[in-house]
Amino acid sequence: MTELIQETQEGVTHETSEYLESFKPRSMDWTAAKTFAVKNLRIALRYPANLLVWAILPIFWFAPFILMATAIGGYETTTHFTDISGFDNYIQFIVIGWFVYMYLDTSIWAIGNNFRWEQMSGTLEPLFSTPVPRISILLGAAISDTIQGTIQAIILLGICVGMFGLQYALVAILPTIIILTMMVIALYGFSFMLAGLILVFKDPSVLTQMISEMTFVISPVNYPVNALPRSVQFVAYLVPTTIGIVTIREIAINGGVSLLSFSQALLGLGVLIVCFWVIGIAVFKYAEKWTKQRGHMGGF
Amino acid sequence: MSKQSIFEKMWNRKGLRAEVRAANALALKQWQVEFAYPLSVLWFIFMPFLWFIPSLIAGTVIAGGTESSHLAGLAGTTDWLTFIAIGSAYTGLAVSLIWGTGFALRREQNVGTLETLMTTPMRRDTLVWGSTLHNIQHGGLGVILQLGVSIILFGVSLDLWGVLPALGIIGLSIIGMQGLVFAVVCIVLLAKQAWMVVEFLSSILFLVAPMTYPIAVLPPILQYISFGSPLTWSVEGFRGFLMGSLTGPALLYTVGALIIIDIAFILIGTLMFRKAEKYVRARGALSQF
Repeated sequence: MTELIQETQEGVTHETSEYLESFKPRSMDWTAAKTFAVKNLRIALRYPANLLVWAILPIFWFAPFILMATAIGGYETTTHFTDISGFDNYIQFIVIGWFVYMYLDTSIWAIGNNFRWEQMSGTLEPLFSTPVPRISILLGAAISDTIQGTIQAIILLGICVGMFGLQYALVAILPTIIILTMMVIALYGFSFMLAGLILVFKDPSVLTQMISEMTFVISPVNYPVNALPRSVQFVAYLVPTTIGIVTIREIAINGGVSLLSFSQALLGLGVLIVCFWVIGIAVFKYAEKWTKQRGHMGGF
Repeated sequence: MSKQSIFEKMWNRKGLRAEVRAANALALKQWQVEFAYPLSVLWFIFMPFLWFIPSLIAGTVIAGGTESSHLAGLAGTTDWLTFIAIGSAYTGLAVSLIWGTGFALRREQNVGTLETLMTTPMRRDTLVWGSTLHNIQHGGLGVILQLGVSIILFGVSLDLWGVLPALGIIGLSIIGMQGLVFAVVCIVLLAKQAWMVVEFLSSILFLVAPMTYPIAVLPPILQYISFGSPLTWSVEGFRGFLMGSLTGPALLYTVGALIIIDIAFILIGTLMFRKAEKYVRARGALSQF
């Protein structure tokens, strides 16, 4: 019996050392990213009511804007709004804004805070001791949150279309997917940056809320981007969802957009992807190093 | 005085004054915790504007000016900017009370001090009233800050003669709101991770409250719900006095409705809290997560 145990232990040690000997650090581990994404999705599917509630709640958040618009401007969209925005249906206008904004909300509250949830569950330190690049873990979390966010955004859009009798151009689906994909990739970089900040600051409630509210104010969700002061418009375009909202709104409501505008949107999002990924990864790596050096990783 | 006698004195403390002192100590403690985080202080200053600005921009884009003839037909005023500025300011106070006080016990539970607090010689509901006191101060300062800046930067105009009666309305509204807060505390005590239920209920409550629009624009069924909420009469009264439009029978109607709702909410809320607190303690689930 003792011999058998000894043999088994030797076998495990041999296997482990073989794994460690052959282990080479990689900059990206897709298997780890996939495993982490599947793990997060499994947890999410354990609470299906969460998915539905988060898809419905935004209706309560944007309904006050519709009611306020009705109180101020009447039951028809005002000519002033049409002159400024170029659209003649306020509800149709803001529903697209909220549909796209849900991705930004997810990137701030879900992806950015992912390591905080791991910390709260007591799994952050074991996770960080695994021989996989941190960016793979973050990317895995981001992918699972994007899938959940997309399901919620589609439910929201479906409910609004049914509730308000809205119509959007079906030809918009493919260009919308292209724009959304690029926007989401850019938002990943933004989330990496946030994840780094949360590793340092720990309690993310105030920081996350501040970032969330500030980005909401400058995002053209409930009003067109040109309603903002000029200097703020520039800052607004640094948030990837601004280009997303403006372009998708144009395509979905008007049924098309000029090739030049579409190319400009793609170029803009391409530049934001590069900038946010470079800054996001740098901030995250620095934050991780800073936290480890102080032994703060599992601290609250 | 020996240590023994200090404890004896503590255990023998009772009466309203003792409870007020305990509530005040809890409110002060919460201020100390908040000031320990510089980001919290920054957030406290900017939060009222960040909540108001989206409504301000959206209103400007829709109205194209500071006046709305359509609003005049619904609420008796063309000044939509002042109308929504006062409503938004009150929203800040209401959010502070519902979320700040509603989740106070959960925060104590998270940091491991709930059971310790429960064993101190004070009434259990003083724990909640202490947090309410803090959030009245916190939210109240936010209201002053937002309205002050709205007057200076955005040209919001208030009737200064209405300030004192508006404060009276705030005083009345706190009674009804405390009933709501007790209900939220019950949900938190029983469901622990109750934020989703509270988010849902508070979203409905804020939707039917005439914060940035008059009740008349709500669908009829929501108007009925709105009439039964203390938020509705509080914001109507607060805004009515600050805009100088609440006089005569409307004044009596608004204040009367608020008093009746206050009595109903505080009685039901207090009763619910006592039952829930007793139930949770009997099950030994006070510190369960």
